[in-house]
Amino acid sequence: MEQFVVTTIRLSAPLIFAGLGGLFSVRAGIFHIGIEGLMLAGAFVTVGFGSAIGSVWLGIAGAIAVNLLLSYVYWLLIDRFKADMIITGLGLTTLCVGGSAFLMNALFNRRGSMTSAVRLPQPVVGPQEGILAYVSELSILAWLLPLFVFIVWLILRRSRLGLHIAAVGEYPYAAEAAGVDISRTKLIAMLITGLCCALAGAELSVGGLAAFSENMTNGRGFIALAAILFGSLEPIRTTLAGLFFGLANAVGINSQIYAGESNIPRQFILMIPFIATMIFVALRGVLSQRRISQGA
Amino acid sequence: MSRWIAAGIRIASPIAIAFALGFILFAATGYDIAEVVNGLWQGAIAAPGSLEQSVRWAIPLAIISFGIVITLRTGEFNIGAQGQILLGGFGAASVALLLPGWSPLLVIPLALLAGVIGGALWSAIAGVLKVWFNADEVINTLMLNFIAALLIQWVTTGPLKDDATRGETASTPRVADVFRLSDGTGVSLELIAIVVIAAALAWIIIERSPFGLKSKLVGSSPRVAAWQGLQIKRIHITTYLLTGAFAGLAGALEVLGPSARLVTGATPTLGFTAIVVAIVGMLRAPGALAAALFFGGLQAAILFLPIVSRLPSSGLRIIEGLVALLITAQFIWLRRRRNRRRQS
Repeated sequence: MEQFVVTTIRLSAPLIFAGLGGLFSVRAGIFHIGIEGLMLAGAFVTVGFGSAIGSVWLGIAGAIAVNLLLSYVYWLLIDRFKADMIITGLGLTTLCVGGSAFLMNALFNRRGSMTSAVRLPQPVVGPQEGILAYVSELSILAWLLPLFVFIVWLILRRSRLGLHIAAVGEYPYAAEAAGVDISRTKLIAMLITGLCCALAGAELSVGGLAAFSENMTNGRGFIALAAILFGSLEPIRTTLAGLFFGLANAVGINSQIYAGESNIPRQFILMIPFIATMIFVALRGVLSQRRISQGA
Repeated sequence: MSRWIAAGIRIASPIAIAFALGFILFAATGYDIAEVVNGLWQGAIAAPGSLEQSVRWAIPLAIISFGIVITLRTGEFNIGAQGQILLGGFGAASVALLLPGWSPLLVIPLALLAGVIGGALWSAIAGVLKVWFNADEVINTLMLNFIAALLIQWVTTGPLKDDATRGETASTPRVADVFRLSDGTGVSLELIAIVVIAAALAWIIIERSPFGLKSKLVGSSPRVAAWQGLQIKRIHITTYLLTGAFAGLAGALEVLGPSARLVTGATPTLGFTAIVVAIVGMLRAPGALAAALFFGGLQAAILFLPIVSRLPSSGLRIIEGLVALLITAQFIWLRRRRNRRRQS
């Protein structure tokens, strides 16, 4: 049971970092489909640069720098050059999938995967008895998760920047009339998304294990995007959605281990979050439609 | 005439920039550019069997992209081709495996039909959710891709499991040889005939049918379309069905053609590349066909390159990503020129 809870947290943590990061962009009206790629870039640079330089923190700093640059390019393309955000976002993800695999090969001469020389500290150490034995698996980023959620909530719900982001996303004309610089607000939101995705990638690659492998995010960025919609674009609910997705994943993994006890195939359990997201998005769509027609 | 030249420049310049950026990266990381260019040339065209491989990949890319052209023209972002391909393959594999002793003249059309229907219905889920529930199709098609992948994983490890397969990749048993439309190369007269028919169909639907005209109006100016009294919901649903039908057909051809079976995790990037193909083809059927040949060549080169060059195949994925990144951007100097022409 304790192990199950810890597994859920470990599987949820990257989703929550990426989901809350992506929330900034989505609330600003950018359906940021490049989250998947940014997470992967974050994971790769953390492992690659961190291993080369021998410090996990400098590795994460490098990952943040790369992700800020990629986010800036993405912003430049969709804001300045009016590129389509979905196609460009998919391109960004493909670029990161190809780029991380290519650079792993070109710079570190590894194919498929590489081990990391560094990993995140695990604050609770030692093979103690009971709960602590499992909790010791959690990295410092996972422990800092509640603080991270609180900061995101504070920025999005209680700060001027958060208000500007929401205004730009919900009603850009009003935002512009109120003197908000739409382009700049979008840029800031996208840079924050990039930063958080670097943390998500770091937690994924050097949080539990200490390795990077080709396409290791394996759709987690898209799942984080689903968590944002499942969480109604709210920080706390997105966090809960991330936990729910991690939980479903943990149940799926456990049902694989204890095969034979249940007759439900693992794949159907793993489907639950995706189906739930679709149903939820549809219900919300109906409600918003009704609200609009009542308002008119 | 100058309109076509401008359009050509608009399409060619992002591709040229993508290749240039990719080559700069390869050179910077110590690869021999001449060797890479040679590998591309050999892998896509020159080496024995290469041209065949380029066509082999152009076939599914073209068919899928026809459907994506239709969806993008209607203004819908159906990015679920990946899942629709799998469901199409599932439909075709089920028919071919459940009716082993029957006449190929009956089974092959039935299997193709099952593939088309499988893809169309899978796509229609997102369509229904969009039209009647106002639910965003981008997220729903993404979710449907995940669900389809899990579903096929279950099918290939459960009900249609091939007991002979070993190792990591699960798959169904092989389809009987009499039902196959090509050997492992994936190029045959039958497959090329099907592509030509699909292209003609797509061209008629897009350029010469009332639906094509209406869907273009819905995509470019939905309000005008509504004022004209068009049944927008019906047009949207038809669009989703058609998009899925083309992707499903491509999935069915994979099963009846080169791979001979439904495999978990096969062709994971095909659905995405087809979107790029549709845009590079300027959202027209002949353009998509030409673009499919180009990206089919790139796909063949991706698979071939590791054999002749030290450059890992992921290097060409970078170029593909860069093309997608840049292809829809409106670069300033082009926009200025267009404005100038409008003024004069």
